[in-house]
Amino acid sequence: MSDLRETLKEQIIEQLNLEDLTPADITNEGPLFGDDGLGLDSIDALEFIVLLESNYDIKIADPSEGKEIFQSVESLATYIEKNR
Amino acid sequence: MKLVASCKVNKQGVFLNSELITGTQTSEPNWTKELYTKSGKEYPKFYKMDALAKLAFLAFSFFEGNLNTEKFADDDITLLFANSSSSKTTDLKYIQSYTEKGSPSPSLFVYTLPNILTGELSILNKWYGENIFFIEEKFDPEFYLEQINFYFSKGAKAVLAGWVESNDSNEECILFFIENNGDKITKEELTNLYKS
Repeated sequence: MSDLRETLKEQIIEQLNLEDLTPADITNEGPLFGDDGLGLDSIDALEFIVLLESNYDIKIADPSEGKEIFQSVESLATYIEKNR
Repeated sequence: MKLVASCKVNKQGVFLNSELITGTQTSEPNWTKELYTKSGKEYPKFYKMDALAKLAFLAFSFFEGNLNTEKFADDDITLLFANSSSSKTTDLKYIQSYTEKGSPSPSLFVYTLPNILTGELSILNKWYGENIFFIEEKFDPEFYLEQINFYFSKGAKAVLAGWVESNDSNEECILFFIENNGDKITKEELTNLYKS
């Protein structure tokens, strides 16, 4: 299980061009969006949609689900485990 | 006009009013992260920025304490920036995202204009004044003086000016903050800022 979370951290850095971050800088439970997290915004939500499609063949049918799914690495991993 | 302060950031470190105040030790490309850590700022959005915006953010972070911008209204300060490479570095990364990595990257696309960094600084400071970004062949002090005088004639009380470059051979940002107080600045002063 933890492998998926570590892989996700690497993919998030690659997909979102967060070149100065390392996986160690991202926690499983910490928020990804907003100033309390990685400072991500709605543009980056599009990157998450691309990440899920290209790496896990998962399409989010209802974009309103994104807010909950993309909350943290943990929520993203849980969603992937349930849907792939 | 009065030159209040200047700040230069490059791979060697940060130069405040031409004096080195902190150097870098990490090898490229992580030197901007080292300076961000040294700045003491907690602004996670830094990690999302492209190279141009990171350089401008860093330079501003290290000299904002010398500016006393609080005395100005939120639309008193004009942002005047220029470089010679526009957003070429990010443009090429964006092209790579859809030619080699399968899909155009939205997070890269938003930085495929150099003037995004003026928006970053405006948002950071909640400034609503004029802002403009020129593509110039080289740092031209006369051009800056003309433009600064123009914005002062239109009511600006101060100008945050900058030359921000990110290309294969050079990564640097020079910021200088100028107030409209009736004095004069010579092009030699600005040239010395750029060369020092």
